[in-house]
Amino acid sequence: MIAATQPIQRPANARLLIVDSNGKFDHILRTSFVEYLHAGDLVVANDAATMPASLQGIHLATGDSVEVRLAARPSIHAEDINCFSAVVFGAGDFHTRTEDRLPPPHLEAGDLIILGPLRATIEKLLGHRRLVLLRFEGSPDYVWAGLAHHGRPTQYSHVTSPLALWDVWTRIAGPPVAFEPPSAGFALDWHTLSQMRERGIDFETITHAAGISSTGDAELDRLLPLEEPYRIPEVTAHAIQRTRERGERVVAVGTTVVRALEHATTQDGHVRAGEGVATQRIGPSSHLRVVDTILSGTHEAGTSHYELLRAFLDDATLKRASKELDEGNYLTHEFGDSVLIERSAVLM
Amino acid sequence: MANPNEAMNTLRGVRIAITGGTSGLGLALVRESLARGALVAFVARTAERVEQVATENAGAHGIVGDVSRKDHIYPIAIQITGELGGLDVLINNASDLGPVPLQMLSDTECEDLVRAFETNLIGPFRLTKALMGALAASAREGRGAAVINISSDAAVNPYSGWGAYGSSKAALHHLTRIWGEEHASDNVHFLSLDPGDMDTPMHAAAIPDADPATLKRPEDAARELLDAIAESLAVPTSVSRFKEQFDDCRNSTYSASG
Repeated sequence: MIAATQPIQRPANARLLIVDSNGKFDHILRTSFVEYLHAGDLVVANDAATMPASLQGIHLATGDSVEVRLAARPSIHAEDINCFSAVVFGAGDFHTRTEDRLPPPHLEAGDLIILGPLRATIEKLLGHRRLVLLRFEGSPDYVWAGLAHHGRPTQYSHVTSPLALWDVWTRIAGPPVAFEPPSAGFALDWHTLSQMRERGIDFETITHAAGISSTGDAELDRLLPLEEPYRIPEVTAHAIQRTRERGERVVAVGTTVVRALEHATTQDGHVRAGEGVATQRIGPSSHLRVVDTILSGTHEAGTSHYELLRAFLDDATLKRASKELDEGNYLTHEFGDSVLIERSAVLM
Repeated sequence: MANPNEAMNTLRGVRIAITGGTSGLGLALVRESLARGALVAFVARTAERVEQVATENAGAHGIVGDVSRKDHIYPIAIQITGELGGLDVLINNASDLGPVPLQMLSDTECEDLVRAFETNLIGPFRLTKALMGALAASAREGRGAAVINISSDAAVNPYSGWGAYGSSKAALHHLTRIWGEEHASDNVHFLSLDPGDMDTPMHAAAIPDADPATLKRPEDAARELLDAIAESLAVPTSVSRFKEQFDDCRNSTYSASG
């Protein structure tokens, strides 16, 4: 597939590969995806807004320039904003491929990093020389202001122009708890949501702190996705229950929604409302208890997102779908084209 | 006199953001919202004033920013939703009077007109749009959600000398109505409210020789506005839409008698 290099959330010509439960394909314009939903379907999206999680600064002990990419925080509570796990890069920025980025200077517990107006201390290393637990000094309001003014959206070299927050906030973005955009939600706008309502398609949200998707370090990337806090509102849990009782479909917008909903679902298929921390990996051996269909970006084999799709499809069909995307010149990455995958009848 | 509805008009736990929150009506709204139990974030341009108001009003989250500047909008929005953990009520109160002293339109510099529109119309548009996801999420969860745009009788009546302010407020009023129409099904309420002529720094700049005794106290206007907001949060949009149909009729009754 080809990387989408323009930060446009809803290009008029964005495409969608439909993979139905029998493994049959259809190619449509993504703008008309609502036509592939049924009255009674429940669409669930992640309403997390994206934090400006990339911070340039100085490692005080060495005087070296570093880039810190915030990766996770302990909860999504507003005041729980002082402690983060973070990946530290050496001098440079998103223009360089993460694989080619300089390593950070030698990092130790107690080291200070000055990030614009913010001061952060490395509390400890988290099992890797560039993964650290950081603590910001100051009140929560001070930290929020510092992030708002000094941080930039985390981005990768395939998009060459610097991203602004408005490039990465979905239309439905609410609490700023994601570290990278829940980009499957780029497909949604208010017009689409009103079309859904007119067609009797329900819409609800969860809030899931989507973490960092790639570090460029093979060893670190194997740890992804990191643990991700989430919150499922009561209304969403009830809507899922009703939808399942009626025998209708739950359509997840994005892998983060699958991860949160499946994490919050008990053995008997009951979705628990409230907060949780998604710790599991979803892959070919996962049994999906609640999500029937996923709207997602197009993902390359080997990524954790691709692994998650293996829970929806047998490998042969997923390989055929990947070939279909390649041959159709679909665009990939966060501003790319999309897939709508119904859980395979074989796997149910 | 105590408001008999006060008990009903508590705003306990409601997350409110107020622009222009360090003077006049905005400051009165900050204080009254806190008194009613709301979680409050306020925005204003001057760092020293923001810090002072935040210090004097324990619990209020002060945010430094200028809503008329495009590059300030997202930093403001993320601090609001970050610090409050979401948003239920946005009050677009920050306003620009246009040229001071007031000028006839034909004497108004283009730059002064543009500045009034950037502050009174484009800024509220941008900030509301950036926060719409958070507001709609509150509505879905049944917390209620509302956007209040502070209007003026100058938005309706063509007062000589009030061209920049009046025309930008007229546009804001109409923007509010259209937005309300479009998001009624999302249960996000849009209210365009005129607080009346108040004893504020802005009024003093517009009409320096006005007798303050004839003007409304901003504290009283804030109480009325928050009563209206509390009421709207408690009522589904279908009911308020029904009532709004009669507003034009009511308004013309008021102006005919006023």
